[in-house]
Amino acid sequence: MPSRVDLIRDVLDKGVVDRHGREMGRVDSIVIALRPNRPPQVTAIEIGPAVLAYRVRPVLGRLMSAVEHALGIDQGRPLRIPFGDILGIHSHIKVDRAFGETVAATVEQRLRAWVSALPGSS
Amino acid sequence: MSAIVDLVLGVVTSIGGFVEVGSISTSAQAGSEFGFQLLWAVAAATVMLAMLAEMSGRLAAVGKQSVAGAVRERFGIHFQAVPLVAELIIDVLLLTAEIGGVAIAVKLLTGIAFQWWLLPIGVVVWLVLWVSGFAVVEYGLGLLGLVTLAFIVAAWKLGPDVSDLAKGLVPTMADHDMTRYAFLAVSILGATVSPYLVNFYSSGTIEEKMKEQELWVNRVTSYAGISFGGVVAMGVLVTSAMVLEPRSILVNSYEQATLMFVPTFGRWAVALFAFSLGIGCLGAALEITLNAGYVLAQVFGWEWGANKPRRDEARFTTAFTFILVLALAIGLIGFDPLKLTMICVALTVVIMPLIVLPFLVLMNDSRYVKGHTSGPIGNGFLAALTILAGLLALVVVPLEILGG
Repeated sequence: MPSRVDLIRDVLDKGVVDRHGREMGRVDSIVIALRPNRPPQVTAIEIGPAVLAYRVRPVLGRLMSAVEHALGIDQGRPLRIPFGDILGIHSHIKVDRAFGETVAATVEQRLRAWVSALPGSS
Repeated sequence: MSAIVDLVLGVVTSIGGFVEVGSISTSAQAGSEFGFQLLWAVAAATVMLAMLAEMSGRLAAVGKQSVAGAVRERFGIHFQAVPLVAELIIDVLLLTAEIGGVAIAVKLLTGIAFQWWLLPIGVVVWLVLWVSGFAVVEYGLGLLGLVTLAFIVAAWKLGPDVSDLAKGLVPTMADHDMTRYAFLAVSILGATVSPYLVNFYSSGTIEEKMKEQELWVNRVTSYAGISFGGVVAMGVLVTSAMVLEPRSILVNSYEQATLMFVPTFGRWAVALFAFSLGIGCLGAALEITLNAGYVLAQVFGWEWGANKPRRDEARFTTAFTFILVLALAIGLIGFDPLKLTMICVALTVVIMPLIVLPFLVLMNDSRYVKGHTSGPIGNGFLAALTILAGLLALVVVPLEILGG
């Protein structure tokens, strides 16, 4: 980990890979805790279309949350990864997670069930 | 040895993959209405595309990033949202036009209305992407696309005056219908420098695992391949200018464009034009569809790649399938392929500054290209041409539409 991190330049919107190097998504949002009489603390990064859409326009974020809810894929989303679980910040941000075990993989796994049913998918 | 093979294949397939629905229609119209006078626009657009392709390959080989991914990382989603949506809309419309181009080609060969061919062609595009890797899309169709060299043969056999050709390479004002002239100049630029191509080249470079030491291959492939491809587009314009303009035949449909081959190829004219149009458009349709998957996967950080099993990248596969279905749906509602093409290529130039200018910033950021940043001449030329063309498009596109 570098000793000094520029959150906007080095973290936000950067690609995230799991501990095996598999792409998990991008840093769609950063969670910062405000503490009385102390500096704000960066607590986590978030991955998920609703928080990403919220950054573009709050109404789009609410719409995306509603879509996720309607599709039944809103459980546990967005994926929140504590800053302490970041293994390294290089060309990608490596996190101490396995993609398939997180909610970031929910849509991929659902679509994979359909794609796998077609001949020649593997 | 492998680098040499890559080089030769890259150059040859760039030539074969250059001509598609946009370049055929804009060059044919330009030739039939203004003779050789718009050759300079084809030349300028070709130089611009070659520079952008070289830069996107350099970004990918050095920074291991595609253009779409790097723009998201460097500028953030807030900045990227508008150009991303605009590019995807134009890609979908252009995909409809390319599928329409293949359908028109099949119609020319069979006589059956083109609308009946849209769905089967869409299925063929999807099946090719489902079963093939990147090499088939890039090299297979590129090699078949060498049939478009027929345009150079036709132009050569018609024997244009060399001094007239040279005059056409110097920008001049039109002696009639200035708005139409400017609109066609803008359209030629939009047809040649499609936004999808910039990201497709960088994604392809990553797919081919090009290394920083092989940048010379990227440079030669981009400049030589695309320059020769530009000569094919000039062949369309010259053939059209020599056959259609003297007879006052305007290219209002692809069927009329076919006539430009008749003096040279006689009874083979229709078949040869149909193969040139069909294969060129099929190659472009495959690239646009694949690139839509690339862009969405790279912006959102999904697994992607034409060479990976489709089940391992279900979101990427679903994304390009969705874009293809959307394009087919628009096609099936009903459209005029030539009109749609002209709208797409003109709108491309309107959004071009949003695509090219951030890309130029990336190419001057050493975090992405290390010491391989772009020089001032390339930066200046591309920025000036993009801004000028964008401003011109904002003026002439509404005038052209209002004027019918």
